[in-house]
Amino acid sequence: MATNARNYRHQIRALIVKELRQIMRDKQLIFLLFFMPVLQLFLYGFALSPDVEHLRLGVIDHAASPTSREAVAALVENGVFDLTASGGTENTLAKNVRDGNLEAGLIIPPEFQREIKHGTRVSMQVMLDGVDANTAGIANGYISQIVSTFNRQLVTGSQISHELVSPQITFAYNPGLISSWFFVPGVIALVLNLVSTMVSSAAVIREKDSGTLEQLLMTPVSSLQILLAKIIPLSILLMITVLVCLLISSVVFHVPFRGNIFLFLFVSFLSILVGIAIGIALAAFSQNQRQSLLTSFFVNLPVIQLSGAVAPLESIPEFFQVLSLLDPLRYYVTCVRAIILKGAGLEAIWPDVLALAAFATILLALSTSKFGRQLA
Amino acid sequence: MRRIISQAGKEIAQFRRDKLTLALAFLLPSVAMLLYGYATRLESKNIPVAVRNFDNGALSRDYIDTIFANGQLVNTPWHDPLRLRSAPASVLSSSAMGPLDLGEAKATITIPPEFSRRIRQGQASDVQVIIDATDVNNARVIKNSILATTGYFLRSQKLSQVKNLVTTKVRLWFNPGREEALYVAPGATAVILWIFPCLLSALAMSREKEQGTILQLYASSISSFELVVGKALAYTAIAFVQAFIVISMAAVLFGLRLVGDPSIYLISTTAFLASAVLFGLFVGTRANTQSAAVQMVATTGFTTALLLSGFLYPLRNITYPLSLICNILPARYFVEASRNAFVRGSDFASQVHLPVALAICAIVLLVGAARIMRRMQLSGGS
Repeated sequence: MATNARNYRHQIRALIVKELRQIMRDKQLIFLLFFMPVLQLFLYGFALSPDVEHLRLGVIDHAASPTSREAVAALVENGVFDLTASGGTENTLAKNVRDGNLEAGLIIPPEFQREIKHGTRVSMQVMLDGVDANTAGIANGYISQIVSTFNRQLVTGSQISHELVSPQITFAYNPGLISSWFFVPGVIALVLNLVSTMVSSAAVIREKDSGTLEQLLMTPVSSLQILLAKIIPLSILLMITVLVCLLISSVVFHVPFRGNIFLFLFVSFLSILVGIAIGIALAAFSQNQRQSLLTSFFVNLPVIQLSGAVAPLESIPEFFQVLSLLDPLRYYVTCVRAIILKGAGLEAIWPDVLALAAFATILLALSTSKFGRQLA
Repeated sequence: MRRIISQAGKEIAQFRRDKLTLALAFLLPSVAMLLYGYATRLESKNIPVAVRNFDNGALSRDYIDTIFANGQLVNTPWHDPLRLRSAPASVLSSSAMGPLDLGEAKATITIPPEFSRRIRQGQASDVQVIIDATDVNNARVIKNSILATTGYFLRSQKLSQVKNLVTTKVRLWFNPGREEALYVAPGATAVILWIFPCLLSALAMSREKEQGTILQLYASSISSFELVVGKALAYTAIAFVQAFIVISMAAVLFGLRLVGDPSIYLISTTAFLASAVLFGLFVGTRANTQSAAVQMVATTGFTTALLLSGFLYPLRNITYPLSLICNILPARYFVEASRNAFVRGSDFASQVHLPVALAICAIVLLVGAARIMRRMQLSGGS
């Protein structure tokens, strides 16, 4: 028995060495493992930003008075709006907003200063480009806050609120509201999933395509050993990918790492197993590399879109909410954000870790049995 | 000309024979439209917020009701294992993060003891709000919502110290209901109609290289230019079918209606689809295998169309050197053209630069693909 077990280990070790050599030779795999994640991290991290600032504002100040100029200054002061056009007729202002040359237009009526002096209410007209519903909503919120501060200044002479109820708002986890802190952890999860799927399916299908799989089967190793020898080196390399991503996230994007690194590596390992299992299944179900690549589009698209890595899931329709529960990446994204940004421990994320572990077990079992049956 | 048409005919015949590609060509864009259209919502609704009320007056209850009245925030129970409900104020702040740490709420609101009494006596009372700012965008949404409802509460209870002399009448143009589908769906058509036509033509071109059939073409009398144009024509025709499917879905599911200048939109679509196909052919001539071609499309075409086209967030937010790339991306112009056509309703003069830019992209790609093709033909390589 003992010699058998030793034999088994020897065979696997030999296969792993062979596999590692093969991967290191394969430029395409190395590109996928190390360059693509870095590239994607940079792209997502620098390109995605929901900040609402520097909206182009056009102003027509019919009052042309000190107070109305103060009102315009208040709007432009904190960088949400940039004064890009002033003067002209109401028609040209409206046309500029309609054509998308300006995001907002402000019209101050001629009686502005006079009415305020008399203590009567006066209204400014604001046009907002609503095509981008999200930005328009936040800009609208800013306008009402700025106007209420302006009112306070007018009436009390001070910007400080003396209201009876004043919410003291604190932003937790990301006090500077830096958008890359939100996207980078999500993209680490997304890229890792994508890469582990692509790499494992490529490693399996390559042997299928070139016919070396049959040769391997003629040797005394079992199909489980063949698979183990593929899974082990790939997961080691993918763990290195995780560390590279983490390094970039902290060095380039200054995302703080607040959680437990071992917990992070553990959930990452689970997610890598999920990705590898999906990759093996893709390879097992398709005849050649072309088919596996095309079907991977079918799998990856919903997996990415329903994971919450790029856009939050809270307000998507019920049906897609339920569908997203079947997305293993969703749980990993939640874990990564919670561990990195919130410093969450197992007590907070155990349901997600459990779900991820369940996905890893089920998918690995399914894909290895499918692969084994194909070989038999 | 005759050779171009026969080349295009051959492509279509070959395309129709391959059942998997055929299914993918029309099924994938539809699935993608469903996913992007329905599952991309930037702004959260029904955001869970946990409230702890240490006051037992009527005023604090009214305040809480007002905060949840507009439906954007939803009251979620505060799981409080320590049962600190009657704890002194100093202990409050320490545990106020609990629901955020557990991910059960996106914000917590703590109303201090004596809230109602103090306010009735005209003394200010601080309400502590902690917002989970991991999702930056929604942190802003929550903050705006709480500030707006607090202001409304003060005015409706006649508690406000400040008379609102200046008010604003805000009109949201084009999308007064702020429906995100109107923003997402036109952009999604652009992303989808970039990736899939591009993927198909890249596969077709790299298959000829992989299987060596391209050598036969080299040997025939067809020129590299005619070859590229023939393939481009065939795949642009297929891309039009894809466009028809995707845009009809957007019209039926998300209520998009053509409100802008139709001629501009039609020209833009034609130039855009041709660019997508030509970019695919370009990639296909560079890649040696089909799998390399797919990966090149996925990394260069897909991510740039998704991230640098203004599909999700405004283009002006993209960091500087990266923002230069946007200018050479056809998807960036087509996202704008789609929104103009379906939401903004722009006229001819204000957007004539869009089809021009797209046409330039198409011509540059055509020349580029034909050049590479000719160089390969001369060197005899594949």
